Parts: sequence; C-alpha cells; structure tokens
Amino acid sequence: MDVKHINPFIESFTNVMPELGFSSAQIGNLISKDKEVMSSGVVVIVGIVGALRGNVAYSIDIESAKQIASTMMCDSVDEFDDNAMSAISELTNMLTAHAATAFSNIGIIIDISTPTMLQGENVSIKMSSDQVLCVQLLADDIPIEINISFEN
Amino acid sequence: MKDIRIVIVDDSAFSIAFIRNILDNNGFEVVGDAGSLEEVKAVVKDKKPTLVTMDMTLPGTDGLECTRAIHEIDENIKVIVISSMMDDEIVNEAKKNKVSAYLQKPIDADELVSTINRVMASDELYQFLEDEYVAVFKEALMDGLNKMTKTLLTYKSEYATDEQHESAGMTIIIGIIGKFSGRMLVDLSKETANNIATSIFKRETKSNDELMSALGEFSNIIAGNACSILNRKNKALGLRLAPPSILSGDSVLISAPTFKTTSAIAETSFGELLLNVGFKRGAEEWM
Repeated sequence: MDVKHINPFIESFTNVMPELGFSSAQIGNLISKDKEVMSSGVVVIVGIVGALRGNVAYSIDIESAKQIASTMMCDSVDEFDDNAMSAISELTNMLTAHAATAFSNIGIIIDISTPTMLQGENVSIKMSSDQVLCVQLLADDIPIEINISFEN
Repeated sequence: MKDIRIVIVDDSAFSIAFIRNILDNNGFEVVGDAGSLEEVKAVVKDKKPTLVTMDMTLPGTDGLECTRAIHEIDENIKVIVISSMMDDEIVNEAKKNKVSAYLQKPIDADELVSTINRVMASDELYQFLEDEYVAVFKEALMDGLNKMTKTLLTYKSEYATDEQHESAGMTIIIGIIGKFSGRMLVDLSKETANNIATSIFKRETKSNDELMSALGEFSNIIAGNACSILNRKNKALGLRLAPPSILSGDSVLISAPTFKTTSAIAETSFGELLLNVGFKRGAEEWM
C-alpha cells in the first residue's frame, strides 16, 4: 500500500474539522498494522471503489465520539444516542467524501459507499489488504483513528 | 416514461405562460401554477404533481421556503429551480434544500425538457432498484449457499430495519457503489460461520483467519452475483463492490443507517443468518 494514499485523508481531516467547530486538527502517528485491527467503541466502515479499491474504518472510543458529537451539534451529549450516532456517521461520510475530492485532485478517481456503523468492545476488524495503514488524528485533542486498506 | 404532472411556481404571468408553453409542446401535463407560499401549498396538496418548477424570488417568500413546504407535503416531489439569479452560493443553498436541478432564465425549451427527463429518469431508476433489490439479494444468497454447500435455506422473516440490533457474533460488510450507493451486511454467529466454512472447505477451518477469509469471500460472491443481476436488468445502475470487511467482537451493536434497509432472516442447515441490504436515494447527481 502506498503511503501517499494517506495524504488525501489527512488533508480532508484538516479541512473538514475546523468547519465543524473544532479549533485544532492535528496529525498524530502513522502506524502500519497487519490485516486485523482491534477497536473498542464506535467503528464506521466506508467502502471505496474506482481507481483504488478498499475500505476505510474509522475508530473512535465512545467518550470521544460523544465529545465529537457535542461539538458538531453545539450541545452536550451525555448518551451516545441516535442523534449522536447520526452526527458521527455524517462526519465519516464527510471525511471520506472530502478525501475522495482530494484524490481526484491528484488524478485518482474514487467513489465511496454509504457508511456502516457498529459499536462494541474488543471488536476485531479484518480488512481487505494485508497491510492496513492507521493514521491517528486529534480534533481538539480528541483522538480519531482512520484505518485505511487498499487492495494492491 | 410515465405521465409527468407539473406545477409551475412563478410570480410573473409571462414566465408562467412561457414555461407552460414549452411543457405543453413537449407532452408534459401542466396541472397548475402558483405565485405565493399559500398558493404553492394549496396547489401541491390538490393536484399532487410529480414535479414543480420553482422561481427563486417570490412575494413574501422565496423558492427555497416553498421547496421545503412542498417536501413537507410529499418529499418525493422533484423541484427544478428556474430563476434569473444564479451564483454558487444560491445553488449550494438550493442543493441543501433538496432541489433536483437549477436552471437560469432565460431558459430554452431543449434545456428544460432534457433536465426534466434526467431528473425523472433518476427517480424511476431508484424506484426500479427499490422494487427489485430485496428479491435479487435473497435469491443470490440462496443460490450461493446452494452452490457452495449443496444445502437449501428458508427465509423466515423480512422487515425494514430502523433500529440498532446486536450482532450474533460476526458481521461482514460490503459497500456498494454505483448510481446509488448502499451496502450489504451479513450477520451470523461464529458457530454458524464455522459450520458454513467447514462445509465449503469440506474440513475444519485451520485458523480464525481462514474462517474470516471464507466468510468474506462467501459474502463477496453473494453481493457480486446480486449486483451483476441488477446491472443486467438495468445497465444504468452500474453497481460495483468494495471488498468485504469482517468484524467480530463481544456484544457488538449494529446501528441502523440513515436510509432504509431491509433485513431477511435465513434459516440454514448451519444456523441462522441475517442478510441486510439497502441503498440510499440521497445525493442524486446534480443537474
């Protein structure tokens, strides 16, 4: 998997988060994982086809997901309820759509599927390629992990 | 294309006559017109149009407020804005208000006719997909299971999914992308997954990795066959698949998506299996 395929996701994150009311959007570590990714909290899977084929799995722990939803909705979120879920789902949709636009700017045309959201503890996610690149991002110090897997 | 009933909203008698003339000459049925918010609500409720042409500047209201009022009555009614004003900001506002297309005055007949046809074709295509996909995916699962394991299944229930539900243990998600995007989700217990994989391999699976690969490929074949059938029925759908993602964990909750999906519970010789599929009408192509 090509590391340069990470940049559109980083670009998307740094552009989208300020628009949603976050004052800082920082890039943390870039980690290479093998196929299986472990996650606890909220996982959102978005499929990608076109010049690249694969999946993106957003992983956010429940407390962080509530904080993100609070900022997006300008309202304190105590329970991860339907409204909060809808906010997180929409966030991942926006982040992936903006990444798709950033890909098209470098001549790579991709389309994205609708997001599927799950929640649970110790969720193992098996993605399509042997290598998964994980970018750790921080929006106002709230951690979001983006796991990206493209087929070769 | 089925009969298209149109209401014209404009505050200028000239514009109404001009648009009506184009529509009459091209075989569309103009069922009414309106020039204010109250008239819009009344004529839409009374005439039940399939499509409304909408001016942006109207006395005491504007095209977007009228569009919202129309969609409160029936969200399936298509709105095409026809306005002398057109800039990026107002076009974006129109998109947010679920306007299907935006044309600038003066309009010409060909432009209006082709825009109406494209807007309605997209709607008909979604309706086609909506009518067909459940049966096609159920059939593909039945066929796939039969070919790969030589067993039969029976569907014991089918329902629209609008709340979250707990995973039985393993969930396979395949994103679907084309004219409309959606997803297929298969949920089953690890025991059922293991039974299916054992039957496909004709031996016990050697590792969890092998088990997940088998179920990923099993689901991929089902989704692939179903989408091929739908694409053959209507080429314009152009459905393609993202690779499967396979999730498993303790008490995993699967959220209901923001669009309508349908679940079917299949009783197989290996255990119960949930098939869930749906497509989003959503962001239709902007015209």
